[in-house]
Amino acid sequence: KKMSATTTNDKYSVLLPTYNERHNLPVIVWMLVRTFTEHKLDYEIIIIDDNSPDGTLDIAKQLQGVYGADRIVLRPRPGKLGLGTAYVHGIANASGNFIIIMDADMSHHPKFIPEFIRLQKAKNLDVVTGTRYDAGGGVHGWDLRRKLTSRVANYIASTLLSPDVSDLTGSFRLYKKPVLAKLMAAVISKGYVFQMEMMVRARQFNYTIGEVPITFVDRVYGESKMGADEIAQYLLGLFTLFART
Amino acid sequence: MTKLVAFLIQLAVATALWLVLLNDVLPFTLIPLAVVPAIPSWCLVTFGAKSLASIGWSLITFGDCPEAHQEILKEIKQAHEELRRRGVTVD
Repeated sequence: KKMSATTTNDKYSVLLPTYNERHNLPVIVWMLVRTFTEHKLDYEIIIIDDNSPDGTLDIAKQLQGVYGADRIVLRPRPGKLGLGTAYVHGIANASGNFIIIMDADMSHHPKFIPEFIRLQKAKNLDVVTGTRYDAGGGVHGWDLRRKLTSRVANYIASTLLSPDVSDLTGSFRLYKKPVLAKLMAAVISKGYVFQMEMMVRARQFNYTIGEVPITFVDRVYGESKMGADEIAQYLLGLFTLFART
Repeated sequence: MTKLVAFLIQLAVATALWLVLLNDVLPFTLIPLAVVPAIPSWCLVTFGAKSLASIGWSLITFGDCPEAHQEILKEIKQAHEELRRRGVTVD
């Protein structure tokens, strides 16, 4: 079922913070363009490159040549400045009234975006978040230990923060632009916890949140690390959130 | 009020109630006195058991999606072909 943007003025700005993604960037952009075009949605893709040493920005410029500067917007930064500021920077440059945040490494598949949009329109939601844990969702590329870590982490976070969101650390989300701006202004944490805090704050501000099951393919090439350091940071961040919200 | 403060207040109220029961100051019996000292450990054990069950269940029902991986590999090939044709460096 195709969605038409011809009867609405909705425009979707996708924020893609990149660091050393010269291999993944062309493919994710290709997939995004295909999805938006097939569904006749008005869009732009804002690439926020943090001065990647592998030449990601050059690839981004080539993509701009292929798809047009109105669809591929480049807003590079001089160094690795972190995800939170990348979002703020992205929002400031976004011409859409909706913002989509996602990972640039193909763990998030653009094919779910029309479903996010459908749900958002059906209930006029402020936020739609992809969930890997609800029925229909899933993850590929995680061994038992990684799955266990993820489940325990989510359980602890849910117990402490009770936000009624099944996937708290997910980062594949659709926001109304003013909603994202307000949340970014309120958020205090960094890292995994930052994405959790967005949901906790959203509940605090009584924003409406919907969930769409998504499949998550972790690191198409290779496996991502989850060490003791990350776990310690996570627990500390989680407890800080528990004590401050 | 923060979640931590709310939790501490709930804990304080529950502890006060428990102490009242423990000291047997009520004129009627709500819970048999012999059982009262065991209530805190019972709460912990029950919470522990529920947690293990919940985590265990969510682990068993964890969605696996091998097809998603296959699908993406195909799409990557497709993307590479088209992008190379259009002049993008793909390596």
